[in-house]
Amino acid sequence: MMAADKRILREERAAVAHASGAALSLAATLPRLLLDARRVAATVIHGVHGRRRAGPGESFWQYRRFVSGEPAGKVDWRRSARDDNLYVREQEWEAAHTIWIWPDRSRSMVFSSPNLPHSKLDRALVISFALAQVLVEGGERVGVPGLVRPSGSRNVMDKMAQSMAHDPAERTSLPTSFAPAPHSEVVVLSDLWSPLSEVKQLLTQLSSNGTHGHIVQIVDPAEETFPYSGRVEFVEPEGAGTITAGRAENWKADYEARIARHRAEIRAETDKLGWSFIIHRTDRPASELLLALHAHMGAPRDTGSGRAA
Amino acid sequence: MIPFLPLGFSAPLVLLGLLSLPALWWLLRLIPPRPRTIFFPPTRLLFDIAPKEETPSRTPWWLTLLRLTLAALVIFAAAGPLWNPPVATSTGRTPLLILLDDGFPAASTWETRLRTADDVMARAEADGRGIALMPLSEPVRDISMQPASAARVRAQQLKPKPHAVERAEALPTITRFLRASPDAEIVWLSDGVDLGKSKDFVAGLAEAAQGRRVAIVDGGLTPPRALAGAENKAGALTVKVLRGADAGGISGIVRALDLKGLPLGDAPFTFSGSNRETDAELTLPVEIRNDVARLEIAGERSAGAVALLDKRWRRRSVGVITGATADTAQPLLASTYYLGRALGPFADVRMADRTSPSVAVGQFIDQRVPMMILADVGNVAGDARERLARWIDEGGVLVRFAGPRLAASDDDLVPVKLRRGGRTLGGSLSWDQPQALTTFAADSPFGGMAVPNDVTVSRQVLAEPDATLTERTWATLADGTPLVTAQRRGKGTLVLFHVTADTRWSDLPLSGAFVEMLKRVVSIAGTSSVESDVKAGEARETVAPARVLDGFGAFVPPTATARPVPAGFSERANADHPPGFYGPPEGLLAVNTLLPADRLTALDTSALTATREGYRVSEPQDLRGPILMAAMLLLLLDALIVFWLAGGIRRLMRRQRPAVAALALLALGAALMPCPQAFAQADDFAQKATLQTRLGYIITGDAEVDNISRAGLTGLNLFLAQRTALESGEPVGLDPSRDELAFFPLIYWPIVPGAAVPSQQTLQKIDTYMKQGGTVLFDTRDAVETLPGGGTNTRSSGMVALRNILASLDIPELEPLPRDHVLTKTFYLLKDFPGRFNSGQLWVEALPANDNEDEARPARGGDGVSSILITSNDLAGAWAMRPDGQPMLPLVAAEPRQREFAFRAGVNIVIYTLTGNYKADQVHVPALLERLGQ
Repeated sequence: MMAADKRILREERAAVAHASGAALSLAATLPRLLLDARRVAATVIHGVHGRRRAGPGESFWQYRRFVSGEPAGKVDWRRSARDDNLYVREQEWEAAHTIWIWPDRSRSMVFSSPNLPHSKLDRALVISFALAQVLVEGGERVGVPGLVRPSGSRNVMDKMAQSMAHDPAERTSLPTSFAPAPHSEVVVLSDLWSPLSEVKQLLTQLSSNGTHGHIVQIVDPAEETFPYSGRVEFVEPEGAGTITAGRAENWKADYEARIARHRAEIRAETDKLGWSFIIHRTDRPASELLLALHAHMGAPRDTGSGRAA
Repeated sequence: MIPFLPLGFSAPLVLLGLLSLPALWWLLRLIPPRPRTIFFPPTRLLFDIAPKEETPSRTPWWLTLLRLTLAALVIFAAAGPLWNPPVATSTGRTPLLILLDDGFPAASTWETRLRTADDVMARAEADGRGIALMPLSEPVRDISMQPASAARVRAQQLKPKPHAVERAEALPTITRFLRASPDAEIVWLSDGVDLGKSKDFVAGLAEAAQGRRVAIVDGGLTPPRALAGAENKAGALTVKVLRGADAGGISGIVRALDLKGLPLGDAPFTFSGSNRETDAELTLPVEIRNDVARLEIAGERSAGAVALLDKRWRRRSVGVITGATADTAQPLLASTYYLGRALGPFADVRMADRTSPSVAVGQFIDQRVPMMILADVGNVAGDARERLARWIDEGGVLVRFAGPRLAASDDDLVPVKLRRGGRTLGGSLSWDQPQALTTFAADSPFGGMAVPNDVTVSRQVLAEPDATLTERTWATLADGTPLVTAQRRGKGTLVLFHVTADTRWSDLPLSGAFVEMLKRVVSIAGTSSVESDVKAGEARETVAPARVLDGFGAFVPPTATARPVPAGFSERANADHPPGFYGPPEGLLAVNTLLPADRLTALDTSALTATREGYRVSEPQDLRGPILMAAMLLLLLDALIVFWLAGGIRRLMRRQRPAVAALALLALGAALMPCPQAFAQADDFAQKATLQTRLGYIITGDAEVDNISRAGLTGLNLFLAQRTALESGEPVGLDPSRDELAFFPLIYWPIVPGAAVPSQQTLQKIDTYMKQGGTVLFDTRDAVETLPGGGTNTRSSGMVALRNILASLDIPELEPLPRDHVLTKTFYLLKDFPGRFNSGQLWVEALPANDNEDEARPARGGDGVSSILITSNDLAGAWAMRPDGQPMLPLVAAEPRQREFAFRAGVNIVIYTLTGNYKADQVHVPALLERLGQ
């Protein structure tokens, strides 16, 4: 098992290195992502976010006439000295938003069909990094649960990559024991092959504070089409057991039905919370998923129900 | 020991393990192959799917077969298989009696027999047993017990006997020995051939050997082959080839040798099916057949495979009787002389001297000659006549020649009815011309002979025309009258030549056709198998052996035991009279191993209770190693198959796919690419060179020189296109060792001083090119270096290099270009051929000496084109153009017109190589026009 772990770590490192390059170019193709202002109207401000209107903030917005009744301390004397009127200096209203991105880095994510160049892990990391980059450029703060604290700096991607490369912790499929601050946003990129109970528990845990979120299921084509035949022993990569199919081709229909049911159950859960649920196959371009996420995150919350990408 | 297969087992009981194979088969069928393992993330979802009712996929039948084979091989190997196991004798300490057949049938495989005997004795030696070795050819010698080592030495000294061995003669000795040593075990190394009384021997041995272990070793070798009954038949020398078994030794060659051992001819033979005898037929000319003294089966070393032939096999005896008494007055004109000379090469001619025909006929019939010639005998009288008729009926051939006596007599011992009196043609009283011989009847012995045109017949006896005349006629004259008639009587034939055997009536005896006709007549006569001129008194006369055969069929000097044979000896050779030639050189008597009636019948040993084994052709070999190795290979194969079934190969391929694919592609490419490419290249070159007329130049390897050659020829091309009708293609650089030269009318060869001489093959190619009409223009490019007035004997470096090259070529005589050479007139009228230099000479093949009558001709062409032109003026240097049309190199002389002349020289040379001596013929045009009356 040690050897297998090492191999997975090695593959993860390669994927991280590859993804930080790929993510940059992917991110460069997208406009800045500005989250819906409404959603963050009353947030506790963790960061700055220019809102194109006067409000509390650091940067100058406009001068306006002093209205009687205002505290005198607000008068900008320097400006007012130039004519007979009194002026108040207004700053731009700035608010920042925190987004947690969870790329699943568990062993099952290393899977890829023989003829595909990218594993699921590759794709999850590329999307995470690109999304982080786009969000940071849009002024948001991005973090990884249990790994990177939210930060709005431009080099967040490097930071994420660095800390992932040196992460000693066990890779779990879903973020455990993590509760985001209220009004932050969560993006979970995983294959979601964990039992429904675990997924349900995760969703409850994440949404407890009224957090909004997006669940992305990244799957390999082989996991959907089940292209196996003959006598095959299927092994769960995370050690959950094995099962032997005498004639794997006979299992295909049942398997496809089971997948559909699994997804429907997840979708029911996300719909209940108003989260979005996106399914992405690794043989599709990564930009497709990023665009979908972009659309979902930029859209008003009401429409944020899952559409497959 | 398995019969008919030299395979034995040291532990045969282990083979019972093969019975477990069906159980193993049942087990193997039940256990399914190991599944492919796939890491599949959604496996947990698969847990929820109810397992299907699944029949486990069975092991494929071929895999089961493979595994069963593997198991069988292991069991087989455990049983200790031995190839060629040694002859099984008991391992007791009792003495061993070894009976060895050492007659001629054992000779051809003698070494193998001795090896088997030695093998038996070696094991007896190891067991400390005593051995009594008894060659069956020595029946009188008492059998003595020997230590095995001594017996082995003795066995090595044994040689096969050249004659047939009568085993039964040894029976008393064997019985005596067996009585003396009651516990002895018997091993009989048999040759498997019965030549008579072997049945008695087997019965006697069975009686003597009651209750003992007997092992008979027989078979396993190529059967002995022998020759018997050689016969000098009409068309061929035939001999019966016999073999000692129903199979083996299927085909071979019988070779005929003369007395000196020189081969005269071969005849192949083939045994069909299980026949034990076949015929070999040597179709040789009679004269050569008569020289055959020895027939042998090629490659068969045995006295039985040799048949010796003496005089009895040689010639057919022909008795010649003449009716004339005065013949001896002029013996060289007598008919007996002509007949003797004509028959001499292929028949034994016996003359009847000084006796009347009747007496002579009686003598010849007593001597049983197969053929008799009566030359102009009118009538055979009395008693002899009856005998003669009977002799013909029994197969004799009587040839009669006509003559005055026959014409005058009234004899019915002729094939056709004759008119009384002869006919004279071309005489002073005759209307007719002497007649020529015109046809030979196709179905007669003369059929197929060429009709001679030098035979004329001036007198003949005429046949009464009747219905049977045509079918009895063998040869006809131009007017349709018969020249030779014949009739079959009983088994014999009666032939009549309607002319005399001398030249009085016709030219026939002088003609070659006469010899040929007599030869054909003789060939229908039977052979006289027994010469009966051995008179009763001479039968007691003995002849001493001259050369005898040893057991292997080679001639050796007579052995001490060989005794003389009676002169009429015609029995099978035996120990006292070994086969060979007896008597004086001029009258050799052949004694053969086998009589004509002898056959090699199989030895029947069924009366004997014994173990029977075959001879061992090679050393016993332990097969455990190879079989275990095969089992290991199968195991490896099985492992690979299981690995493949479990998808291992695919995993391996996935990981190293690019590398593997690249390697496979590379290997494939390496295997496939070169050939088509090479062919395509050769084709391309040929197409390029032939679709347009192109000039060639030799690539010297000096880049500067090659550039100038190329530019020079390109410049010349341009000039040619401007001034002449020739628009040649781009010049081609040639590597004479590699490229085909035949496509180019002219090859320019600049000589680089110090250049390596081309290889011998290259030079041969160039030589061939020049011989086939190509022209090579050698340019030493060093005219400027030669001393003025140095003449032809220049020693410049270029000349030396050129001489090195030309030394190995077949170069015709050369001369400096004569003024009237056609080369000076092919296009431009030129006096000299300058290049960059103008002091050099142009050398061409010397023209034949100028005839006086052609003195006036302005041009001489010789025959064909000079295959070699040598200059030192650096022509290409003068022609070389830069791409902008400016000359590349300066000229030595200041005269600007020289470059123009250099180009003209080039034009003349090119047109010369293309048109040959056409311009030389042009000088005749005025004369031709004048003759046409213009």
